[in-house]
Amino acid sequence: MATMPEHVPETMSRARAPRPEHIPEQYVHEIDMYALEGIEQGYHEAWKNIPKPDMPDLIWTPFTGGHWIATNGDTVREVYSDPTRFSSEVIFLPKEAGEKYEMVPTRMDPPEHTPYRKALDKGLSLAQIRKVESKVRKVAVDLIDSFVSRGECDFSAEYANVFPVRVFMALADLPESDVPTLSRFAKMMTRPEGNTPEEMAKHLEEGNKGFFAYVEPIIQARRGKEGDDLITVMVNAEINGERITHDKALGLISLLLLGGLDTVVNFLSFMMIHLAKNPQVVEELRADPLKLMRSAEEMFRRFPVVSEARMVAKDQDFRGIELKRGDMILLPTALHGLDDQLNDDPWRINLERRGISHSTFGGGPHRCAGLHLARMEVIVTIEEWLKRIPTFAMKPGAQPIYHSGIVAAVDNVPLIWSER
Amino acid sequence: MPSINVMTRTGESRIIEVAEGISVMEAVRDAGIDELLALCGGCCSCATCHVYVAEEFEGRLPALSDDENDLLDSSDHRNERSRLACQLVVNAGMNGMALTIAPED
Repeated sequence: MATMPEHVPETMSRARAPRPEHIPEQYVHEIDMYALEGIEQGYHEAWKNIPKPDMPDLIWTPFTGGHWIATNGDTVREVYSDPTRFSSEVIFLPKEAGEKYEMVPTRMDPPEHTPYRKALDKGLSLAQIRKVESKVRKVAVDLIDSFVSRGECDFSAEYANVFPVRVFMALADLPESDVPTLSRFAKMMTRPEGNTPEEMAKHLEEGNKGFFAYVEPIIQARRGKEGDDLITVMVNAEINGERITHDKALGLISLLLLGGLDTVVNFLSFMMIHLAKNPQVVEELRADPLKLMRSAEEMFRRFPVVSEARMVAKDQDFRGIELKRGDMILLPTALHGLDDQLNDDPWRINLERRGISHSTFGGGPHRCAGLHLARMEVIVTIEEWLKRIPTFAMKPGAQPIYHSGIVAAVDNVPLIWSER
Repeated sequence: MPSINVMTRTGESRIIEVAEGISVMEAVRDAGIDELLALCGGCCSCATCHVYVAEEFEGRLPALSDDENDLLDSSDHRNERSRLACQLVVNAGMNGMALTIAPED
């Protein structure tokens, strides 16, 4: 990228897939999920620029190996909800890269998927997560205390990129010093570099292999051992009456790391940018502790960060559109939470909103297993932050740099507040 | 309007009037019974509106969905009477229904 002159749009060098015969010309829109047009204005803004009133429920782009894109919340929800029509056989794009993805059980469909999911749920249930709340709170407090007297911070670097990761490393009983390595692997998988599907596949595969090599000795060491950390619980889980196999354990533990390292990190940054610009919402949160706790869902609706895909499981007619087995459909969750047909005045954080509709955690059998942990991390962050920093703003002149991909990202979130 | 009898965690019994068409979770929350946290506001994703419904009303409740079933599994306090109040839309048949707010996880 550094060698490319700045005035050349990134899409100029991106490989285009030929349009398959069953896809009529009028469905084609040139959209690059890894370099959305207008991304400098914001990730959600860039996605929301795409749907137009007369657009079909699915459109097709030649970029990223060629794939469909769901253009509204109702379509995102329907595709997520039915694994018999829309399989998880491949979930990352480009498909060439998605085929190298070896996490477990995200690429399985029911019934194979079910016992692995039960194992995950056991470790991440609401009851389990509530037991670690005080630990989570301490991580948040220590971090905020470390910079509160300075009157400013880069929220992205000093909090969002650290907090969920520290929490996760504590729950998994892993050393914090390993975080930079794991964050790098996560980024290789969720925003793989390259201009062709093959280059991106190679990058993703390297990230995946990195995770596997990292967890291999940890799994060996914790097999058959006692312990209540997440990894020990999972590697000793039973799948259909037998202990989980080593290969599957590699994928399952790696998935925990991938899921816990990149999603909440970026969600928190998006949320905080908005709060810094909307002091009236902050005031509302501060005034009512119960309202604050119940605000997390509205935040999830407003700031979705994931865009993964489903594979068409069989030839079918979907809402009048001909789909062939193997076609990929990208599901930008941003287009659900921000769909004005499903959420009135969707750009506004409305803490009184009823009937919140979103797919921020995905949907169907693969709905995010970490959602209880994510919700607690968000509530604890807002609570502890506002106790110490009741009012704050973006640093004048700050320009957050946004990235799109399977997980959206923000590089920098410079915040300021009055020292107390 | 149907009325529902809600038993709180402290053992206090309250009869609340509920409008048909809204969820039992919303009705309990609107009555100011804050211990029913209902964090997700009815998205069926948090399991914090867990209640026990009296057996005789079982037949008047909608069937359990996969999402609701999985979420209830996530609680340490699930029993055969467990439901998520956000998934129970109030209907006339629920008049007189007794429910107990489950212990907090």
